[in-house]
Amino acid sequence: MNHKRSDPTDKNINRRAFLKLTAFGIAVAAGTRAVTATKASSEAPKGKHQWAMVIDQSKCVGCGYCTLACQAHNDVNPEIQWNKVLKDRLVGEKQVFLPRPCMHCEKAPCVEVCPVEASYYRDDGIVMMDYDLCIGCRYCQVACPYEARSFNWEKFEGENRAVPEWGYPEVERRPRGVPEKCSFCYQTIDRGLAQGLKPGVDQAATPACVNVCPTGARIFGDLNDPESNVSKALQDNPSYRLRENLGTKPRVYYLPATAKKEA
Amino acid sequence: MLKKLITPWTVWLAFLGLLLLDGLIAGLFVFWKGLGITNLTDLVPWGLWITIDLSSIALGAGAFSLCAGVYLFGLKRYQPIARTATFVGLIGYTMATLALILDIGKPERFWHSLVYWNPHSLLWEVTMCVVLYLTVLVFETMPIFANLEWLRKRFPRITSMMKRVHDYAPFLAIVGLGLSSLHQSSLGATYGVIKARPFWFKPEMSVLFMLSAIIGGISLTLFASMLAARLTSKAKINDALIERVAQFVGYLLLGYFYFRVWDALAVTYAYDPGRSEGLRLITKGSLAFNFWVMEMLLGMLVPLILLLYKPTRMNRFWRMIALFLVAAGVVAFRWDTNITGFLVVMPYIPGQAIAYTSYKPSWIEIMTGAAIVAYGLTVFSLGVKYLRVVDHTLIESEHEKVNVEATKHVVA
Repeated sequence: MNHKRSDPTDKNINRRAFLKLTAFGIAVAAGTRAVTATKASSEAPKGKHQWAMVIDQSKCVGCGYCTLACQAHNDVNPEIQWNKVLKDRLVGEKQVFLPRPCMHCEKAPCVEVCPVEASYYRDDGIVMMDYDLCIGCRYCQVACPYEARSFNWEKFEGENRAVPEWGYPEVERRPRGVPEKCSFCYQTIDRGLAQGLKPGVDQAATPACVNVCPTGARIFGDLNDPESNVSKALQDNPSYRLRENLGTKPRVYYLPATAKKEA
Repeated sequence: MLKKLITPWTVWLAFLGLLLLDGLIAGLFVFWKGLGITNLTDLVPWGLWITIDLSSIALGAGAFSLCAGVYLFGLKRYQPIARTATFVGLIGYTMATLALILDIGKPERFWHSLVYWNPHSLLWEVTMCVVLYLTVLVFETMPIFANLEWLRKRFPRITSMMKRVHDYAPFLAIVGLGLSSLHQSSLGATYGVIKARPFWFKPEMSVLFMLSAIIGGISLTLFASMLAARLTSKAKINDALIERVAQFVGYLLLGYFYFRVWDALAVTYAYDPGRSEGLRLITKGSLAFNFWVMEMLLGMLVPLILLLYKPTRMNRFWRMIALFLVAAGVVAFRWDTNITGFLVVMPYIPGQAIAYTSYKPSWIEIMTGAAIVAYGLTVFSLGVKYLRVVDHTLIESEHEKVNVEATKHVVA
């Protein structure tokens, strides 16, 4: 009996199956549309430039200059690091490092969850913080998969010891009670663009951590420009992003250090 | 003279007053020095205060669920309990507001959450609903505040207007049901949508929060009414009414117990790094006592038996104990849920192991937290004494106008 019921030659069942399939198809199509519509509204707007960073782990020696330059240029509290240099695994006998700035996700959990839109997307892909809007609820910290945000538990008073050796502050100090994070040195990018410079190529338009890196492990540029350093590096090398399974689509790419590269 | 002054009532008030004063000083210290003096960290940014905030909102849920029952589902005879519940709800939601003001880094910008909208954010939705629902609660409790002797004598017209608000109780109940369903579940979703922390990232979070809030909220209202009636003649209860609702709580608890156990174990169905680690933390790690004893045993199993086994349910003492345990179990659930997600630190470097962190509230957090609870107790105590908050005999006089069929006594 059961065999007969599922027999595709049975006309009656066939028609029903056809109707079911049609209904199912319509439902799926409608569902997909709904899902894509939602996605579109919660993703970063795409402007002329799409800034991205590529970090070559085979070149990073873990010196931490990037962190110091960042502290100076962004006037960061020494207890906070926008850019952390962390130990990754060993390749052969060599320690591999993983510098971690803000990932500037294309679908950033921090932007999604911020109740007051203090975290927002710029149309060049930078995830920004409006420190004047923020109420300090720390939901963004809870949501960030990369621990990229640090809260100002105390007010940063006194002098910045990274200044002047590693650069001069270019932005205002954040007040107590708000979280802060890497901004891809948006101030440098904006000023550079206004002067007709090219971020990633001209130092005066490039984030401090990229400029200071003694081994050239960091590359910065525009993903929209196929000829940019980042586009080329990603084309020519295998790369990965952090916690890719979450679907946050970070704009910081890593070129893994392999034993082969060392040899 | 001195003997006259030292009564249990004044001692109780003095005790609460001390806690309040203590917490007020601690609170001012927090505003002055900032959150650096708490034990919150970048890894555990939400701690004791968030638990108090979540718990007082959850335990205030008796208001919407009982009002819906009374004014929308026609269970009119329970109206006097719903009346107490709205007052408990008002206390709960104001407690939550106090905890939040302490918790946010920029308390002077609290109004930003009402002006700058991000409809994508669960916290935005929760804030909106809580503010709107608090307004509903103010209206719902207006007839109660109209009982204030002084106000009634001084401004009789105002109090009669305040009493008339009760005519709109069904409308308020509809709005309250909608708003509460939204934010009670969204508080769960606040955690449930966080992809970065797999222990939380599951759809049933909302359902668990909603269900536990209804159960805990009703339990707290019943417990508070019974305790008040035990301690003062100002509180008058109809025990048969409470017993029936308590039985209902027992059945709800059975469903919730099943769901909570299933949820805890089903976390491991698909191995997602972080989930099993979270489960291990609550079943074997630092939260094991809280989970097994406070949540499972005392929070659910014991009250289940006490509330569903007739002899213990009919016994006022055991029923009271059971209702208290249920409410405490909901608080334990909120604490466990919040803290576990933080203590399991997810690695973001490929191949690195999961790490663990720890959190113990600082004295400042505990002192301010205790003051928030003391505030709730103070308002409730004053309400019982001066506003007839727990008075199941009040129905007839107050609601003659609307012809509520509430004067019938229930046969238990």
